Amino acid sequence: MSQPILESGQKLLNALANHSDVVMHAFVNGRISEESHNEQVLKSLQKLGILWRPEPGEELRLRSHIRSLLEHSLRDESSRQLETNIQARLQTIKTVVSHYHEAMNDQGYAQAEVYLEDLTEQVYGLSDSLKSGVRNLWRRIHNEFGYVSSINAKIRENELAQKQVTQMREQLQLLQFDELTKLAGTSRPLRRLMVVHLQNCHSETSKELSSAQARLIELLGQFRQYLQSSQLLKGFIRHCRQKPQYQPKDPGMQNAVNPLFNRAAAIIKPAAISVNNIEHETDLSALVAGLKRINRKLDASDDKRQGQDVAIGDIEEISLVDDELHQAVEQYFCEVIDNASKVSAMQFMSDQSLNFDAEEWIYAVINGYQGLGFEEQEFFEMDTLGHQHPMFNNNFVIEDVRLGLR
Amino acid sequence: MISMHGQVMEKLLQGEFICTVSDEVAFGFLQQAEAADKIEAQLNQMNRTLVSANDGQVFYCGYQTLGDNERKHLSEQFKDIGGALLPLVEWLVLVQEAQGDKALLTAGKVIRLQELQLVIEDTPAFSEQLQKIARYSLFNSTSISSDGQLKQIFKRLLDLGYLLKPNKDKQIFIATGKVDYLFDVIRFIDENEKLALAEQSKVETEQGELL
Repeated sequence: MSQPILESGQKLLNALANHSDVVMHAFVNGRISEESHNEQVLKSLQKLGILWRPEPGEELRLRSHIRSLLEHSLRDESSRQLETNIQARLQTIKTVVSHYHEAMNDQGYAQAEVYLEDLTEQVYGLSDSLKSGVRNLWRRIHNEFGYVSSINAKIRENELAQKQVTQMREQLQLLQFDELTKLAGTSRPLRRLMVVHLQNCHSETSKELSSAQARLIELLGQFRQYLQSSQLLKGFIRHCRQKPQYQPKDPGMQNAVNPLFNRAAAIIKPAAISVNNIEHETDLSALVAGLKRINRKLDASDDKRQGQDVAIGDIEEISLVDDELHQAVEQYFCEVIDNASKVSAMQFMSDQSLNFDAEEWIYAVINGYQGLGFEEQEFFEMDTLGHQHPMFNNNFVIEDVRLGLR
Repeated sequence: MISMHGQVMEKLLQGEFICTVSDEVAFGFLQQAEAADKIEAQLNQMNRTLVSANDGQVFYCGYQTLGDNERKHLSEQFKDIGGALLPLVEWLVLVQEAQGDKALLTAGKVIRLQELQLVIEDTPAFSEQLQKIARYSLFNSTSISSDGQLKQIFKRLLDLGYLLKPNKDKQIFIATGKVDYLFDVIRFIDENEKLALAEQSKVETEQGELL
């Protein structure tokens, strides 16, 4: 890029930065009064093409390109313009393509490169303007035209947006891909730009546009419904004001009652105690006396809620202390295995002259048998000897057990 | 613990409206055809039936067959509704206008009392309107301050079941399905008596624009 362009560009941007207050003032208010600002500043801004005077005697305004730049970057909701002038852009693209072809034919590659750069700019510009148009539309749909207050205004905004959508769709039809393909010819960069890129952009935009249109129609229906119900309410108030004696007709006396008015009387009525009735006093006080009061120790529960220390360490070794009884039982089992015959537990105890309580011993033996694994239990068989309890049916008193191998 | 069926039955027999705002679980329960059939069978034994209004958005209990007594009850009830219509409608319009002519209050919409109060107190026309509404016997407020009037109106609307207050400590209210029911009632009266209310108000606004 040549030096003068760089310099003037920087000058413009510097001017925007230095006088941002003036620019933003003009953006927000739409115009700028000359009394409240420095004449010198305004003049230089005018010279740079940032401000302009539409007609002599009018106040200064922001140039539309600066305004649209600000609207784009600030995502201002009030920007309602959709750029729909695709035709002009297409014409430019076609012209630049012809330039490019001509340059290529004349072997002016450097020239062709410049044209290709220009073309790229144009095509991307076109797709960007389409995309930002759709984005802008959706933004307005999403806040339901929140920037205008009355429903009537919303309906008008919606209708405007719908018109713009239709216009955009019409413009999209101008993108004739067979023509563009022919124009691109066999050149790869041209095909990539004009066919692939534009086609993607076209299908994306048209898809979004049709869904936006559907949403707009839905919103319009909603707005109309709001409007209708609010008119209904206002109409009702007006009617009542004009005819103060007005009473709606009683639907209860009509032959067929609309289900709307068919509301049954409550069977379960809200009830409350009448404390003023002296007769009930004794009953009530008896009820009150019978109420249980539950005192939960809240303090204790608070403690429990607090985090508890968790000790993380090795699990202590679990060792079972073999007591005498246990050893005796094991001996008894070994005896049974050695003898391979049934041995009575009581007999074993007296033989070994063990000094246990009989009941305790028998329990220990039964326990020892039950404590075996299922497969080990299969090897043994246990008989219980005893008698029925004289008084309680089916109560069997075990006096001795005999263990043997199966 | 009482079953869902029992809870819904109790609500219906108390004459309550069941909508998604007031009781979402019960409403979902009634939307199941099987459960609704059971409730209906039980209600039928008491000459009651399950009625739904506003495109199935509200359920309540109605009479199965209408005898003289039932008709009498409906007439009395309608007299109450008819008397309450104007204050309620005026209140709805006030809320709508105070909130900047946005959408009308419908089931599930939220009203923040403080915001409403600020707008009403700042606008003399609204506070005048509020004063008028608060004096209706439906709301029966004797307060002179708009704060007291608003509180009384909201309290009454809570009692009548038009609004719900989800959080006891916050002045935030949600409109129930009963508000939509109110619209249905007005729409019905409008159609039934051929009042053409919406057209009347349209003419009025057009005339207002001409002036």
